Amino acid sequence: MVGTFLKRVYSSFATKVLDVPPRLLAFLFFLLLLFIPMAKPDSYTLLILTIAYIYALFAASWDLLVGRSGQVSLGHALFFGVAAYLSAFLSKFHGFPIWATIPLSMLFCALVAVLIGVPCLRVKGPYLTLVTLAFPLILFVIIFSLPSPVGGEGGIALPPRFFPREFFMERGFSLSEAVYLQTLAEYYLILVSLFVSSIILYRVANSKTGIVLVSILDDESASKACGINVTKYKLLAFAVSALFAGLAGGLYAHSFGAQGAVAPEAVLGLTTSFYPVIMTIFGGIGTIYGPIVGAFTLWTLMEFFRVAAELRALIYISIIIIFIVKWPTGVAKFVVEKLNDLAKEREIDERKKKK
Amino acid sequence: MIENLTNLLVYGAISGAVYALLALGFTLIYGVADVVNMAHGAFYMLGAYAFSVFLIHLGYNSITNPSPFLLFIALILAPIFVGFVGTIVYRSLIHPLIEDALSVLVVTIGTALILQQIILFIFGDKDMPVPKLLEGSITPLGVTVTYHELLSFVLSLSLIAVLWIFIARSKIGGAMRAAAQDREAATLMGINTERLYMLTMAISALLAAIAGILLVPPAASPILREWTYPLVMSFAIVILGGLGSIKGSLVGAFVIGYVEKFVLIFFPGMGFLKGAAALIVMVLVLLFRPKGVFGKRVEAE
Repeated sequence: MVGTFLKRVYSSFATKVLDVPPRLLAFLFFLLLLFIPMAKPDSYTLLILTIAYIYALFAASWDLLVGRSGQVSLGHALFFGVAAYLSAFLSKFHGFPIWATIPLSMLFCALVAVLIGVPCLRVKGPYLTLVTLAFPLILFVIIFSLPSPVGGEGGIALPPRFFPREFFMERGFSLSEAVYLQTLAEYYLILVSLFVSSIILYRVANSKTGIVLVSILDDESASKACGINVTKYKLLAFAVSALFAGLAGGLYAHSFGAQGAVAPEAVLGLTTSFYPVIMTIFGGIGTIYGPIVGAFTLWTLMEFFRVAAELRALIYISIIIIFIVKWPTGVAKFVVEKLNDLAKEREIDERKKKK
Repeated sequence: MIENLTNLLVYGAISGAVYALLALGFTLIYGVADVVNMAHGAFYMLGAYAFSVFLIHLGYNSITNPSPFLLFIALILAPIFVGFVGTIVYRSLIHPLIEDALSVLVVTIGTALILQQIILFIFGDKDMPVPKLLEGSITPLGVTVTYHELLSFVLSLSLIAVLWIFIARSKIGGAMRAAAQDREAATLMGINTERLYMLTMAISALLAAIAGILLVPPAASPILREWTYPLVMSFAIVILGGLGSIKGSLVGAFVIGYVEKFVLIFFPGMGFLKGAAALIVMVLVLLFRPKGVFGKRVEAE
């Protein structure tokens, strides 16, 4: 009984993952990430990777909205920031457990998305892009003007962590060991969240709803003429996207990502809104795996350039720009399309041989 | 109260005029080439820096050699330099991607970051002093207006007038309007759109640079690396007025200029709210007019 079930699981896994080169690649990549801690890297490397995963999730959620429905939002930091703030606020000042505050802030983000989506989605094209950019900036100023423990420049200092150090220290680990274990635990938690969420995002993007969204991207009036409730689908994309951006924000607030404080500049600033855009375009828009590859590549590359202190940002940005101008479809998308082409060619060759 | 009101009236008009200059560049390149140029704020910043650097190399010194002639030379050279940079950016980065609006957006964001990093690399953390074009002030009707502000006002309005006439009357202006209306048809009529877009980008960057030279000196602290604030202001203005509309950006600029000064004058301790106030006004206007007040294109004027 169990054996046949496992066999069926394996065969579906083999046909759906192992036989599709890009998926196999993604699977192997995930396995690699899963086993990286086995090589006993220092906690700094783990931290860099952890933050890369948070941004990968954030960028993937942006891709679901923009790559599928074509509603270019430049204000995705709003959801990231709202969730990070709300979750940190509830857990720090009202004693809610983190496991409750993150889902709560995710739902709140979806609500915010619907509330600002209703007026925002009336405007189109570049208007939408620039209007959405305004919201995180407005919220930024509001939080900035709040009194100190909640708002101000520093934001909420020392939000509770997923795995407090005390938890490990009570079990007989020394402080340095506890810090390492804390990092390790966060690494796995965030990696698994990224893995699960990206599968959900990928499934949504390629579901019937996702296809309807693409039809809106291609031709809005034609979709309307086909009887599709365009506004409803746009709002849905907005809300689902906000949900996962909120998850990224929550993971950020309670892990090393926040670096000791959920500060308005870091979560709501213009750069935070630009991150998913740059990462997604770099990796390949409309693919879900593109932004993940983009975030991963760009974030680790940035650490690499931290060595060349003076010119690092300049070289780094120039490389990104050159890649975007050379491969406008995105690096990951380019590779995946090449892989698919190769697979098809091989199939054709095999058929020819059979004949 | 009355004093505050007259202050608001005068200062709002001055900043409105310079903002109009800034926003015109943003709206022009969108209207003609459909490029949402996120590097516009960076051109503004680069303008102020270039002005300051040209002055130093020309031998200007605010104490020992305060020559108005050198100021005048730098005022001409710096915007031309920035216009040239704009052309290069357009030709090398934006043009290859012109069909894909989103890639253009990302590339212009990248351009802004690159310009910021270059400036940071050359000048480090030290601020460059940007001298005023004219020293001294007058006090008509109890409002103290520096000569610099007065000159900014006059210069901005006259440049806008020149630009308006250029677009409405000249042959190149006609080509711009044609390209704004229908790019393919314009190409078929023998207009070299690539060169036209390069020229538009140059004018757009030039206007941003002049706005930078005019707006930076009166600011209390010369935070020149700040390219996001002018960018946010220019898009608030342009969205409010209607993207691609010259008339719209003029109206929008004065609205935003007055809103900003209103916050500064009536809520003195809350200066940091001025940007948010402008954005809130923009969002409110957009709720009622989804295409801005004058949601038209360059060709309509």
